[in-house]
Amino acid sequence: MATISLGKRTAAVSPRSVSQRLLGRDWRLAWLFLLPLTVVLVVLIAYPFVAAIILSLQHKVVGGPATWVGVRNYRDLLVGAQYGAVFRKSVWVSFVYTAVAIAVKVSLGMCMALLLNERFRGRMVMRALLFLPWAMPTLITALTWRWIYDGTPNGLLNLIRINYLQKDTLTQFLANPRLALWSVIVVVVWQGTPFYTMMLLAGMQAIPREQYEAAAMDGANVFQRFVFITLPSLKPVLIITCLLSTIWTANSVNFVFVLTRGGPANATMTFPMLAYEIGIDGARQLGTAAAVSVMFFPLFIVAIVFLTKRMLSTEGRA
Amino acid sequence: MAIAARARSQTERHAASTWWARNGVRTVVMVIGLSIFTLWTLFPFVWIIETSLKTNKDLYQQASLFPTHITGQHYSEVIHKTKFLTYIKNSLFVSIGTTLIAMVIGVLSAYAMTRLRFRGRTFMARAIIVTYLVPGALLFIPITQIALQLHLTNKASGLIAIYLIFTVPFCTWLAISYFNTIPVELEDAALVDGATRLQSLVRIIIPLALPALAVIALFAFTNAWNEFFFALLLVTKDSEKTIPAGLGGLINGDVFQWGALMAMSILSSAPPILVYLIAQKWVVSGLSGGAVKG
Repeated sequence: MATISLGKRTAAVSPRSVSQRLLGRDWRLAWLFLLPLTVVLVVLIAYPFVAAIILSLQHKVVGGPATWVGVRNYRDLLVGAQYGAVFRKSVWVSFVYTAVAIAVKVSLGMCMALLLNERFRGRMVMRALLFLPWAMPTLITALTWRWIYDGTPNGLLNLIRINYLQKDTLTQFLANPRLALWSVIVVVVWQGTPFYTMMLLAGMQAIPREQYEAAAMDGANVFQRFVFITLPSLKPVLIITCLLSTIWTANSVNFVFVLTRGGPANATMTFPMLAYEIGIDGARQLGTAAAVSVMFFPLFIVAIVFLTKRMLSTEGRA
Repeated sequence: MAIAARARSQTERHAASTWWARNGVRTVVMVIGLSIFTLWTLFPFVWIIETSLKTNKDLYQQASLFPTHITGQHYSEVIHKTKFLTYIKNSLFVSIGTTLIAMVIGVLSAYAMTRLRFRGRTFMARAIIVTYLVPGALLFIPITQIALQLHLTNKASGLIAIYLIFTVPFCTWLAISYFNTIPVELEDAALVDGATRLQSLVRIIIPLALPALAVIALFAFTNAWNEFFFALLLVTKDSEKTIPAGLGGLINGDVFQWGALMAMSILSSAPPILVYLIAQKWVVSGLSGGAVKG
């Protein structure tokens, strides 16, 4: 869009010098404006990023000297006696955790958005209420659910089970290896669904009403209208929201960190939690911990490349 | 033709009397669906509020679903026995600091990206998006290591620096997508009259973008306000703790002081939640506009 006004502008400012021809009309000012951003990108993001890769090739304990060990950290994780089993477990746990959470969030988010897209009295109030979990600080959400799941008769769920459902045993939602991962996923879903609802609702409101009216006249029922109008129109929003949310969900340590710390018996050991356990909490093996994160990174490159292309193209169109 | 078609379809519907059936079904589905979602969404909030108001007897000895006595003891404990006000002050300092720096960087960069012509623009756009998307899990080990090495523990500046990692690319990207919606022509007159680019940014673009910038600032602020992983990890000195670190201080090993924890949670999260409820409409459009477009 800037190209259109180019001729008019160059007439107003001084004639173009050689450097302006090579580097662009406003290059001095542009890079001056971009200087702080560049500092942040390089010092705070690119440098730690490179540091992660270098660290993963070193043996380094917190506060100790670093020695170069090549790919030994990676070998230790893949086939080593100490970390091999827990690393392979974390691959599976991360996969289940992310896949189930995303699938449930997108389904519930879709239902919520469909309901909120209808016209009814008190719609704005409902909308605000159903978005509340998103506005709630993550630490507080996690603590609250830890208290809801509490394994004593005082936790909400056990309280209800014993006092109202006449059960006489306590359920250890977070300490039972067979339940823990599902309990954590429930919390992730509770907090994450409103983001999907918001995105999908915004997408639904961009669909012209006439399309539905025309389809209704042609005799399409509710489900047909959903499958043939709503879903195809929402496809771009759905793809972007799911990809964004996959990157964030898979890489977040927050809920596992507060609820279970990866336990019991590594049942909830997602890979960021494993990196924390190896690098910061237990053995303080920074090198091996960095290798955990670096090894998972390629999985997200596809999503990042796709999203980058997509966001760049929409920026140009705006 | 359309009217005729509509009339025909309506008579058909009346004939089969499905219109009432459909609307009846619609109402039932709506009521049931919305009730389930409301219950599912709200019960943890009710539980937090209840817990903060229950006596320790109701909480632990004879646990009851609803409080038998309502007490303010947990609130007074939080205010008098912890450094709650200090935590709030520290959180405000860190969050406002992060927001201000991120906004200045974001607005300057967004102006350059949307209004100036220079080589490397596409590269920068790509860099901003990629850094916004790069997974935090990849960075937290090196960040922790660097923070420990540079002795950034127990310092507000350390937390601000770390929070900029997550807020700057985000703020810049949202500002870019908003600045793109402001017509370039609006500035032309000012520029022809000899205004500098900075003047044009401050006098024309920023006032126009003010509502959007407020939403972006709100995102940055709550991001910093809510972050707890690094706050728990890096801040151990009581006088330097932010709210999340202060909440962590109410947990001793496996002993959670639930009454006080929930009281402090409510006191510290009520302001941002209220702001969200009020600004909800703009928040939604800002969020979907920045991340998803077209």
